[in-house]
Amino acid sequence: MRNRPETILTYFLVLILGFLGFLTLSSASLASPEDSSSERLLAITGVHIVPVTGNEIKSGTILIKGNRIEAVGEKVSLPEGTTIINGQGLTAYPGLIDSYSSLGLVEISGVAATVDNRETGRINPQVKAIEALRYDSMHIPIARANGIVAAVVAPTGGLISGQATLVKLNGWTNREMVIKESLALVVELPGIRGGRRSFMGMGGQAAVSTEKALAELKELFHRARMYEKRKDYASQNLLISPPDLDETSLFLLPVVKGELPVIFSVHADKDILQTIKFVQEEKIKAIFYGVEQGYKVAGEIKKAGIPCIIGSLYDLPPLWEEGYDSLFLNPVILNQAGVKIAFSSSSSSAAKDLPYHAAKAAAFGLDRKEALKAVTIYPAEIFGVDKDMGSLEKGKLANIVLAAGDILELGTTIEKVFIEGQETDLSNRYTELLEKFKKREKK
Amino acid sequence: MRAVSKKLKFKLGRLALALALTAIFVASLTPRAQAEVKPAYALLNCRIVTAPGQTIEKGKIIVRDGLIEAVGPAEKIPVPPDAEVIEASGLTAYPGLISAHTNLFLDVKEQDQPQNPEDYFSSFLQPSEPQEYPDLLVLKGLKPKLTTVQAYHRAGITTVVVAPNRGIFQGQSVVLNLNGENLNPMVIKQPWALHLNFTTERGVYPSSLMGTVAFIRQKFYDTQHYAQHWKKYLASPAGLKRPEYDPFLEALVPFVVDKKPVVFQCNNQEDIKRALKIIKEFQLNGILTGANEAWRVIEVIKQARLPLLVSLDFRAPATSLFAQQGEAARKKAESELYPANAASLQKENISFALTSFGLTDSSFLKNVQLAIKSGLSPETALRALTVEPARILGLEKQLGTIEKGKIANLILTRGPLFEDKTRVVKVLVDGILFNYEEKGQ
Amino acid sequence: MNVRKINLIKINFLILTLLVFLGSAVPLLQAGGNLLIKNAHLLTVTKGELKGDVLIQNGLIKQIGENLTAPAGTRVIEANGRYLIPGIIDTHTHIALSGTNEGTEAITPEVNMADVINPDDTSIFTALTGGVTMVHTMHGSANPIGGVNVVLKLKWGKPSEELIVKEAYPTLKFALGENVKQSNRILLPGRPQRYPATRMGANAIIRRELLRAKEYLAEWERYEKLSRAKNPPANLLPPRKDLRLEVLADLLRGKLLARCHAYVATEMIEFLNLAKEFNFKIGAFEHAWEAYKITDELLAAGVGISVFIDSWAYKMEAAEGIAYNAAYCTKRGLLVSINSDSGERIRRLFNEAGKAVKYGLTPDEALKLITINAAKQLGVDKYVGSIEVGKQADLALFTEHPMSAYTRCDMTIIEGEVYFDRDEIIKEREAAAAKKGGN
Repeated sequence: MRNRPETILTYFLVLILGFLGFLTLSSASLASPEDSSSERLLAITGVHIVPVTGNEIKSGTILIKGNRIEAVGEKVSLPEGTTIINGQGLTAYPGLIDSYSSLGLVEISGVAATVDNRETGRINPQVKAIEALRYDSMHIPIARANGIVAAVVAPTGGLISGQATLVKLNGWTNREMVIKESLALVVELPGIRGGRRSFMGMGGQAAVSTEKALAELKELFHRARMYEKRKDYASQNLLISPPDLDETSLFLLPVVKGELPVIFSVHADKDILQTIKFVQEEKIKAIFYGVEQGYKVAGEIKKAGIPCIIGSLYDLPPLWEEGYDSLFLNPVILNQAGVKIAFSSSSSSAAKDLPYHAAKAAAFGLDRKEALKAVTIYPAEIFGVDKDMGSLEKGKLANIVLAAGDILELGTTIEKVFIEGQETDLSNRYTELLEKFKKREKK
Repeated sequence: MRAVSKKLKFKLGRLALALALTAIFVASLTPRAQAEVKPAYALLNCRIVTAPGQTIEKGKIIVRDGLIEAVGPAEKIPVPPDAEVIEASGLTAYPGLISAHTNLFLDVKEQDQPQNPEDYFSSFLQPSEPQEYPDLLVLKGLKPKLTTVQAYHRAGITTVVVAPNRGIFQGQSVVLNLNGENLNPMVIKQPWALHLNFTTERGVYPSSLMGTVAFIRQKFYDTQHYAQHWKKYLASPAGLKRPEYDPFLEALVPFVVDKKPVVFQCNNQEDIKRALKIIKEFQLNGILTGANEAWRVIEVIKQARLPLLVSLDFRAPATSLFAQQGEAARKKAESELYPANAASLQKENISFALTSFGLTDSSFLKNVQLAIKSGLSPETALRALTVEPARILGLEKQLGTIEKGKIANLILTRGPLFEDKTRVVKVLVDGILFNYEEKGQ
Repeated sequence: MNVRKINLIKINFLILTLLVFLGSAVPLLQAGGNLLIKNAHLLTVTKGELKGDVLIQNGLIKQIGENLTAPAGTRVIEANGRYLIPGIIDTHTHIALSGTNEGTEAITPEVNMADVINPDDTSIFTALTGGVTMVHTMHGSANPIGGVNVVLKLKWGKPSEELIVKEAYPTLKFALGENVKQSNRILLPGRPQRYPATRMGANAIIRRELLRAKEYLAEWERYEKLSRAKNPPANLLPPRKDLRLEVLADLLRGKLLARCHAYVATEMIEFLNLAKEFNFKIGAFEHAWEAYKITDELLAAGVGISVFIDSWAYKMEAAEGIAYNAAYCTKRGLLVSINSDSGERIRRLFNEAGKAVKYGLTPDEALKLITINAAKQLGVDKYVGSIEVGKQADLALFTEHPMSAYTRCDMTIIEGEVYFDRDEIIKEREAAAAKKGGN
């Protein structure tokens, strides 16, 4: 009965089914960077869930579909083909977000060839941190292995340092890491007079007062607005010659138009007040960074609605007479006054310490839940990515950390880190070298 | 004819007298003080404080050839016929004040202290040899200025020690009487002492305080060894290798072996301890100057029983507690704690001299007043500027009190010394009169 | 002997006894404070944990137990369940000193940190707020041979001589690597590069100076022999006393321990060889970022390390430092302490030790890194480093377990005297604020 039409059809069907089956099987392989298949189904079960927004779940399930969270709850029905990860004994947190770092820009701080975060000159709105960011930095896997899934990478130096970027700590190139290529413009104002950080930024040139610095900015903003007016007018009228290229104005335009926020590195109380006034007059979007004396003017900051990124708490208070703990109490007071705060590592080699800055503030009175929010949902809100990040909620990206305990605690080991649904490699410089030299042990 | 020449003589006489009087009148109009060099003076009817705590309400002082010929109650002292009479009622005479540590007339400014002497990353722009001057005789480099002398007179100071001000082994000081503009006649004692300062070199060893301490100790050990070697060699050179001549060590021998005085600059409490340790180690004839933080180590100072030249500079040292805790703390310390330094010493019956080191002539008096306000008795203040420095300088037989036979260094004030409105109106130094009376007084 | 004489002898004996008794009583009167700490969660470090009280008398731990009582007038501190630990010991700092380096010459062992103690350094207070009671404060790392170090108790407000811990091992600072080579410095015009410019030069210069010290010792021995001879030569002079070589001679005599700043494995291996060559003892390697690569060699030599937990990647020689270093070396059997080497990190030294838990140690083992291990390295483990009856009452009170990120130091006690009291500070602040508000 050879070559009967029914036999050929059967063979064909078998082949096709077999082929489809093969495809299905192959696509269920472990995550590879290119694999962002919406087919992926992953569930973490039996895990203690801390969504950050909403109540904790003692033991529940998180269902991940593709790169987003499909469901979070005590009881979640799992579709067929879901890979199950047993989360018993672990706690699930949203991935942490570092609100200010030099990850990927500074490799070995004492070796200038590896330092890329400080351009020369005072006015540099045109430089973009993303264009120098190195994924291969040994500090990124270390930070990621401690539960940090996203970070602001900021340039420094001068008055206008450049454009900071928001990246996820996963990707084969810097471009794959981008969440927001141009997150904010970084502006650095002088430190506290007579204080320990009496001179910040300004690129080694003569210290200018905040008043003078803001006046200079005002002038630059005005120039940018006029530049745009001229360009527009010239584009409508052939007889009007367009202006010469004004790089500074060109790159300040998004700020002036209220599209690109400015991160002001500002420190003394009087300077904070002056900057608030400036922001309101210029009608720009602003975020403050540093704000060591913010607690003295918390009410005004709250009224102005400007969020504050807290600088590294691995420092001494700027002024002795404000108390040995003033640096730690600062975020506590700001938070209690209703100011939205976020913590930062302000580092690359110590980026993994982000959670411990939050815990340090908690040691001095910050509500522990608020401390956790300040490294998850608050930075997400501040940077406008809260629809995608900052908490464990349906619809958000599956940035999930499985910790063997409290994620802000020093001794907690991180078991798994998912970025956009993909389990990431937790091996890093530390573990590689340890494994290498463990082999030397003579039993 | 005789009648005519008599009339002429008379006329000429009157003309001469008129001219003379005019000259004197014109001379007296000049507001600036004029040094009038006269052999003998009689100061009449003034109140005399001959020594701290000893007053003659209405007395006379006779000065001749730069010395005090007589002093006592007015009725007991006859006025020599050749003495120029100075009516001094309403004035008070005190022994001229002695500032046992100054940098007067020095040509060279003290080298700038490096910002962070311990920071080995600071610039190394200095020469490769340490700038040390143990054999420097400061007298050689002095350039006296009359205006400075006058300014110090107005502060009541008639005798000063001029000390060198550069390096660790700074050199040797001289004691001067501020009697004019020429250097040699000013000299009372040359040299007086070796001066040491716990400062550092820049770019060359020793560039840190710890290095300076080791450097000083090593130099003193080397001096002992050097002296021992030379002594042996001079006594019996045969068979002995000749010691190499070293001007540095040579200069130190009188101070290490013959125990001539060595003055240590102490700018904080730890400097005092450092100095005492070295003085003890080498059994030096040690004197401490500065000692602005003596109040913090009173027991140690008491035990040490060394001559003290206490500064009236009340600024808190930069590394002290008070300068590190904010402006308010520093200001408080500088207005309350440091000015009470002398009072603390007085309370413990520790004798000391006060100096004008680091101050201008005007801030000197102001700071003495502040010290008195903070608990120092005026009598002790006077002692610390007369008897005590004279003793420390080994000049107690010549200076410090108004006594027969001593050098005629006196100040005449309108008002009690150390009070705000008091002014020094006349000064005698080595019997040379300086007038500072202002017009309208 | 007549009765009178015997009576005289008796009286003299009585007077003598009285004087001796009074003399011995004097140190007691000068000793530390008295405290009763109640209801604390005690982490003794050497004898487990317990909930109870600690009685302190004359600066020493007199009693540990439950429901203790104290003589009238003793200050009582209510711990309310807070954690009481031994005062933290930082084995590598540069605080409380007027100056860190004599960097103009490469070999400067004659300088002594005890000569430049600065009791006014506010870093002392800063350290107290972090529960630190004792520091090994050292010469910097500018030179292959730096200077003699000193161990201090952080008795804020006391005169400098009262800070010195006489019982500690005397130590001499050595340094190797980039700081010594000055490789991260810009050469100034007209100034030659200081020798050594390489790691091999550093070892060579150390060797040369130790050879010189040996010669110096021999010179003095020769002089001693000659001067004691029956007919000493007429031209006999003692050798010149050289303070620099005296200190190196003391190292060779075993009177000083070497504390060597070394990062990379080769530096440590070769320094161990130098120590063997000249027969001197090493107290510990400082920083020792690559110790995890050579645990066998370090174990064989019996040399411990004093390290950061994870402050790395600031120099090339710290580029292969791993955060597992301290924990791994501890597990391998080395004596490990964590240090701050910073007037800022010192106040969170307990947090640094806490990180070791993540890298493999138990909280108890981590606490040892900043208490008993440090005490052992400094030679003062008989007196401090754990809460035991008879030891000095150097203690710190924490709100949570000291290895927790959420903890805060509330009180620091040295020899029974309270040197840092957060409650006191808060009260003062409130009083000052009230005064301001009332005006």
